[in-house]
Amino acid sequence: MEKLVLECRNICKSYKDNEVLKNLNLVLESGKIYGLIGRNGVGKTTLLSVMTAQNPATSGEVTINGEPVWENEKELKNICFSREIVGGTPIAQMKAGEYLKAASYYYPYWDKELAERLVKEFDLNTKKSMMKYSKGMLSVVTIIVALASKAPFTILDEPVAGLDMFARQKFYRLLLDEYDKTGRTFVISTHIIEEASDVLEEVIVLHDKKIILKENTQDLVERCFHVSGLETEVEHAVKGLHVYGREKTGRGIGVTVMLSDGEKIDDSCDVSIQPVNLSKIFLALCEKEEGL
Amino acid sequence: MNELLNQEKSIYLQICEMIETDILRGILLEEERVPSTNELAKQYTINPATAAKGINILVDMGILYKKRGIGMFVASGAKDAIKTARKKTFKEKYAVPLVREARGLGISRQEIVSMIESIMEV
Repeated sequence: MEKLVLECRNICKSYKDNEVLKNLNLVLESGKIYGLIGRNGVGKTTLLSVMTAQNPATSGEVTINGEPVWENEKELKNICFSREIVGGTPIAQMKAGEYLKAASYYYPYWDKELAERLVKEFDLNTKKSMMKYSKGMLSVVTIIVALASKAPFTILDEPVAGLDMFARQKFYRLLLDEYDKTGRTFVISTHIIEEASDVLEEVIVLHDKKIILKENTQDLVERCFHVSGLETEVEHAVKGLHVYGREKTGRGIGVTVMLSDGEKIDDSCDVSIQPVNLSKIFLALCEKEEGL
Repeated sequence: MNELLNQEKSIYLQICEMIETDILRGILLEEERVPSTNELAKQYTINPATAAKGINILVDMGILYKKRGIGMFVASGAKDAIKTARKKTFKEKYAVPLVREARGLGISRQEIVSMIESIMEV
């Protein structure tokens, strides 16, 4: 598959007085599975819709291989943004079959056979109005659209919301299978971080109107630790390091440390040093300072 | 390859150790094909790049080797190589934490030695 680079440059986006994204920069290379994480209402969907030219940026530019994507039919062919279907909206009044049919006209690389196979695999009743679907079934529809679109850049907004564990597992396997066969790029926004973390090659954290972190997931997890013990010992062990999410209980304290190249926790102190997972890192990074 | 992944350490290291353990237990035999990066990725729902990182460590250690267009295979002598490598890290991994914990509890050198001797006699 041809190498593509999707770039967001100095993106600002406001809805009236509400500034959601501010001077945001992001470069996505093809051939990776990216995860976009951030707290509720932080602007993940806004970013994804701006990135895919479904929503105009207030200022700044999104390009694919240097070409602006806005009203650019040639470049938009390469992108699929499978939006979350929200019950009660006009789209939700369609039958799933009609929705998939519409998608098949919209996406030039649509794989009809794959769509049909997925409908069977997820046991989707396509003749039913999506109004009557559960949250999980609506997610299944967006997953089918995303996978069957065959778009080189495919973006899934909350694809596992409302899905049970079996369906989530099925989704991750289908995703890895499709990635194995085609090398397409996937960007997945999710709140079920721990489960997705092993699947994601890179994780992108949106916080406070900008991208505060974009890194190989395994590398990130490897350089973060939880250090705990007597407060004075912990403070000594992590002196001069990047420390997040201090949690105090009596004389004890626990902190999350993010090490940069060459940095080291002083392990001569009497402290416990434990590995942390992506959810813990996310909690430590994006915690609101107020009230703590 | 039936062990479970945990959160105690990096996934690629766990993949590495699982393959080693399977070789030591005779679940994977020398000169036999091991699961591919993509097979591992799907089985454990992990990114193929992570699985590849684990496999590549074993290739660098001479425990696995690549047959072009066919896949990864267990090298002959892999079992001994794994044992030798594990012996090298035994002290760091088991003896050092043992002594550290013993010190914290005030267990004497003599007590540790006799404890180990009594275990080894069984």
